[in-house]
Amino acid sequence: MSRVKLLQIFPVVLILVGAVLVFERPAYAYADPGTGLLAVQAAGSALVATGWYLRRKIYSLFRSGDAPISEPDKQSVAIESEDSPNP
Amino acid sequence: MSALPPVNTELELTFRDPAGELRLTDGCALRRIRPAAEKETREFLASSLRKTLEQSGDLIFSRIAEPGSHPCISSGEFWLEHPRIDPISYPWEWTTAQWRAAAELTLRVAGQAIDAGWTLKDATPLNILFSGPRPILVDVLSFERRDPHSSVWLAYGQFVRTFLLPLVAAKYLSWPLQATLFARDGYEPRQIYDALPRWRRLNPKLLDVITLATVFERPGKPRVTSKKTPSTTDPDLARHVLQKRIARLGKQIRYAAGERGSSQWSRYEQTAGHYRPEDVEEKQQFVMSVFARCRPEHVLDIGANTGTYSLLAADAGARVVALDSDSAALEQLWRASLDRNKPITALIADIARPTPAAGWRNREHLSLLDRLTGKFDLVLMLAVVHHLILRHQLPLTHIAGLCAALTQRWLLLEWVAPSDPMFQEWLRGRDDLYGHLTEDDLTRAFAPHFAVVDRAQLGNGRVLFLFNRLLGQNDTGVPAEFQHAGGSTA
Repeated sequence: MSRVKLLQIFPVVLILVGAVLVFERPAYAYADPGTGLLAVQAAGSALVATGWYLRRKIYSLFRSGDAPISEPDKQSVAIESEDSPNP
Repeated sequence: MSALPPVNTELELTFRDPAGELRLTDGCALRRIRPAAEKETREFLASSLRKTLEQSGDLIFSRIAEPGSHPCISSGEFWLEHPRIDPISYPWEWTTAQWRAAAELTLRVAGQAIDAGWTLKDATPLNILFSGPRPILVDVLSFERRDPHSSVWLAYGQFVRTFLLPLVAAKYLSWPLQATLFARDGYEPRQIYDALPRWRRLNPKLLDVITLATVFERPGKPRVTSKKTPSTTDPDLARHVLQKRIARLGKQIRYAAGERGSSQWSRYEQTAGHYRPEDVEEKQQFVMSVFARCRPEHVLDIGANTGTYSLLAADAGARVVALDSDSAALEQLWRASLDRNKPITALIADIARPTPAAGWRNREHLSLLDRLTGKFDLVLMLAVVHHLILRHQLPLTHIAGLCAALTQRWLLLEWVAPSDPMFQEWLRGRDDLYGHLTEDDLTRAFAPHFAVVDRAQLGNGRVLFLFNRLLGQNDTGVPAEFQHAGGSTA
């Protein structure tokens, strides 16, 4: 399979994995969270979380090499600099 | 000018929230906070989030009510006092642009709350009122403390159902926003999915809230956690996820709310061939002289269209309620009043078929006439009466009765004679019924309720009348034949 196709399929796989993982329904909601929309939110969160962790890994690699970071998400970098890097 | 008429304080306006209930009185809205929610409410009132939101005008002002300051407050109870926003408008009376503004307000507040360690536990247009042209969040009890490790916004589902999906339905299915009158909690994703053609279901901008939500729907009972299970997500990640979610919803709202619409009536001001520029000038001059003479405090503009005369009334110092059945025209008026910061409340409504009462026992949401009767000292009915006669086939006496119910004092009405081209256009073969109406018929029909104070004839044959309401029928001035039709709030 070509690399491009893999990149296209990857988000869809993540969504499906996320949806399956989080099917527990909280019992403390006030407004009806809806089963489908709750799953969609969880899947989206999994996607965002994956991106977040991947970026952190990349930053930690770069930081050890002292290369300048040009990234729109400077907020994540600021937060990073206060925490110790994850092993 | 009399104070706001008393509303039946037995009327509980909100009752679903276990944390509290709302009542309306003459001068304010009172919210009782149940003991279980008192601690968190006090924390919220002490928070900087509350200060920020009140200062920016996004959240209604709250004050802890003194015991004994109102008859319904017993000692030991915790009540909040809020200023009343009048008139109340409901989401099914908003234009698309107003709906979008309310959605964006909710998202803005949700985003700020997340940063401050709070969250909104519900997100519905019924928590928003329009104070003039500005949306304002009125449900102080929506705020609750957020679990910093949780990346789930529990009100997301409600936001999508009640804010986003109605906009989507209006855009792609032509389901009017007014239809949400019957859908308290909005539309389910499945309803939209089933109604859309197959190719539209794959629209990537809305794929998650329509198609995926339908596919992942789980009827029946999945595993349920019996108590709050602490999640272990990194707080920074949780915040990041929530803010991303809010940002995506913002994009989806903007997409679904679409372009500004135009319609036959919003282009009225430019294409109104039956008004020459000098006629328009003359009409405006007369209307402005009436405002200067009457100095109205509360004006109702029926058939306000793009709001030329509503804006003149607001410039003259009045608070205005503007009604029109044309959404695109009203949207222009709303934007103008927002840009120029004028106290004009725009509502989509047809005065001939006004918004009914709705909700639980038909008392949860008041009818339009219940909200408007007895609140105005001047009513404008410019270029509307021929619509009521021809399109709604209302006798002049009935129109007079309605006007008498709506105004405390003045009525400025524009008479359009049968010889007028617009009258002829709508006449449509009913000459025998309506073709012979004259000015005298008008004044005679209005005579039981009104006296003519001033009259001006425009160059195009239309006539402006300034009427003064006669008192002495009964206290509210509502004539007997109108009382059973819901024209009184007593």
